[in-house]
Amino acid sequence: MKIQGIIHQQICQFKWHLLACFGLIMVLPIEEALVNFKDGLGFRCGSMVLVSIMFSPLLAGLIACANVQGDMDQKLYIFWRSKPAGIKLLVSLKFFVGLTASLIIMTCPLIFWLLSGNIIDTNSDILYSIPLSALLSIMTYSLCFGCNVLIRSTARAWLVGMLLAGFCLILPFILPLNYRDFVSDVIFGSRVYYPVIMLIISAAAFVFALFAAQYDWHLKTNLKGLLWVAGGLVFVLLMLFSSQVANIKVLQELEIEPFMLGRNDLDYAGDKVIFQEHNYVDIDNNKISFSNIDSNPDDIAVPITRPEGLEEYHTRDYPGRDKLIKVVGDNLYSFSILAYFSRERIDREGKPPLNRDIYEHAYLRSYKYTVNRWIPICEIDISECLTDHSYSQIALRLIDNKIIAIINNSFVLIDATNPEELKRLDTKLDVLKRPMGYIQERRKEFSIPLVPVEGIDIEDRIKLSIDLNYQYEGIDERSIVDIHDEKISFFLASYYDDIRRFDVTGWDSENIYCKLSTARPFTILEHMSSVYLGRVFVKNGKLYFSSKNTLLVFDIRSGDKIRKLGHFIRMDYSIQDIAVLDDDNILLCMRWDRNLSNYDSSEKNFLCLLKNPG
Amino acid sequence: MFLMLLWKEWKENLWKLGFCGAASIAFTIMLFRMRIIPDVENCFLISLAQMFIVPVVYSLDIFSGEISNRTIHLLFKIPVKRWIIFFSKYLVSAAGIIFIFLASSLLMELMARGREASVYFLMRTNLLYGLAGLLLFTWFCPFGCQSRSEAGSLVVMFAVFIGWGIVLLWSGVCEVTWAERFVPYSFLLLTMEMTKLKFTGLVFSQIIAFAAVLAVACYRFVSIRRYL
Repeated sequence: MKIQGIIHQQICQFKWHLLACFGLIMVLPIEEALVNFKDGLGFRCGSMVLVSIMFSPLLAGLIACANVQGDMDQKLYIFWRSKPAGIKLLVSLKFFVGLTASLIIMTCPLIFWLLSGNIIDTNSDILYSIPLSALLSIMTYSLCFGCNVLIRSTARAWLVGMLLAGFCLILPFILPLNYRDFVSDVIFGSRVYYPVIMLIISAAAFVFALFAAQYDWHLKTNLKGLLWVAGGLVFVLLMLFSSQVANIKVLQELEIEPFMLGRNDLDYAGDKVIFQEHNYVDIDNNKISFSNIDSNPDDIAVPITRPEGLEEYHTRDYPGRDKLIKVVGDNLYSFSILAYFSRERIDREGKPPLNRDIYEHAYLRSYKYTVNRWIPICEIDISECLTDHSYSQIALRLIDNKIIAIINNSFVLIDATNPEELKRLDTKLDVLKRPMGYIQERRKEFSIPLVPVEGIDIEDRIKLSIDLNYQYEGIDERSIVDIHDEKISFFLASYYDDIRRFDVTGWDSENIYCKLSTARPFTILEHMSSVYLGRVFVKNGKLYFSSKNTLLVFDIRSGDKIRKLGHFIRMDYSIQDIAVLDDDNILLCMRWDRNLSNYDSSEKNFLCLLKNPG
Repeated sequence: MFLMLLWKEWKENLWKLGFCGAASIAFTIMLFRMRIIPDVENCFLISLAQMFIVPVVYSLDIFSGEISNRTIHLLFKIPVKRWIIFFSKYLVSAAGIIFIFLASSLLMELMARGREASVYFLMRTNLLYGLAGLLLFTWFCPFGCQSRSEAGSLVVMFAVFIGWGIVLLWSGVCEVTWAERFVPYSFLLLTMEMTKLKFTGLVFSQIIAFAAVLAVACYRFVSIRRYL
């Protein structure tokens, strides 16, 4: 047989199908480019290239069916079989010619994307999806090819091939390969099994097609019934041996009395968690119970008197909802910054008046838990930090026995070894640099100002600096920094985009130098269903992303990728607070949110104990 | 006679119901049991796949099969109006599509009732996708009722999918709200609360479009002349 002649014949045979597929795959990028051109953005395309490439496995299946049907149609097939042609060589040539053609079709939107003047960003969505789409295209092509040799009907073979491909996509999650996250494990290929499985399936489908063609296997009515039964049995067996993959297991869900919104929900106190400021949450055998915080009734703390002349002022306290708690022996102490401000009304011509808050006094207070109350016991005047009487940032962090109280660009370092007698160690005014904005050019190395606090460990300083730069609240309890094996990384979640890891590459006396290391994009489905702007924190090698009704847990240490381990979603609920316990389980404080606007008596509140995935 | 036609179409298209129904139920059970992604995402994923695949399966040979198998001239010789033949085909296909979505939506609701999503959310979402799928199939009818091959029907169905996709994109980018009312995909936007359109207003617009499209499809089927 003349191989070149056969190849030429094959290409001529399905050229119209190729043209149709080319048209289908290019229609969206061209439309996007036209819309952009009309809007004055130039004749260039973007996200539609990604959508088109995602469709390429479907089109590869179509090309496979058209390719087989061209010569395996019943009448033509009899003609071929009557000739002294090497059937295996013919089928192999058909297979590889069609495969090459479908891969060329897949690259067309990409070439258009490059030619229309887009600069390659190695981390862009388009690039990361190419290898997976190529592999998927090979798999769907091979499966549809094999099915068509057996079924000999274009449309039905395409449907069965697609059904099998869909099943093969789920297969690695059924096998004991510890697959959990479609993005990291499959699209980014952090686990090699997936490409291997896809290539093995493709090779198996090709070999099957060779044998089916050689021995003239043809799906007849009796064989159809057998296949249905076999398919059903395989499905039942797989379902019996499969388990839940990535949902976070609820260990206990406890309905609790309605609590006040705005009050502290869950606070860390050493190795325990305090609920609503007054009760310890005890976990025993995965059961939640409450116990009162013990305090000696004889140990009556004498509350400090409020400074005179401040009665007319409004107050703002930090931390607002969370409490910064320190355990000393059997006693519990908490700390907060209390700022006093007056409100000035500024009249504007033709516009509604503006209110301007003038901050004049600030105090760092310590409280002691005595007889079911938090009683203020000590206070330090830190008003000098209000150098310009404005408010931009207040933060508080306890490192060992030292408290760093930050107001705007100034800070005070306080010795809190004895919370009943706070001692000022250092004060530095207007030394903190303004936080840098959100990182625009993600591939470039950038620097973050290092907080010039003396007397604390450099790792804690770096941690504080990064948290201060990117977290606007809650740095007293939570951090976005992970320190592991002398490697410092931090994590940011950007709105409707991705979760990014930045590695600290070095530091000097003034700056910390960082670089993007990896990013885990949110999928279209995640955007559609649950991901809104949420908060991120890191604890014990795991990253917790929580938004209104969603908690996602990611693994950040076991590989170079950020990998989703589990999700917890309650659609009608709102997550009020999260605490990660010492045994790694997660405690959630939730409110049933459906009738939140009514505040009626039917509102429900829950404490939920979750098993930490991983 | 109409009932006999319905029975004929039912028997001919039973494999479609079996195939799509079995595939939908198998994937629903698998994904909702394994919970690789949250229930809501599973629902969107399955519904989206169903919305594109089920109408394709029904459109493959519902009209073209009669022409490619050379049975259409026998069918037209039956003493019954051609529009009745058209409606028997359309009604069986529509009933099949509705039945598949009804089964999968019920299964979703049973497997994941209130587990992550609100009660009835999954069912409502899947049924709205089904409604979009039915409308897409209806839009296929005027263009595909004279198709002579499965491949031709497939191309017409894809053209309907992509065509309405382009209209949706255009109406979104250029803020042409009236056009959005007639796009079958608007029901998807409704489930994700991504449109300002109200359900009743959308249904009203779609009913008008639906009736017009069905009338055109019926007219085109009745006016088939050269079928051999």
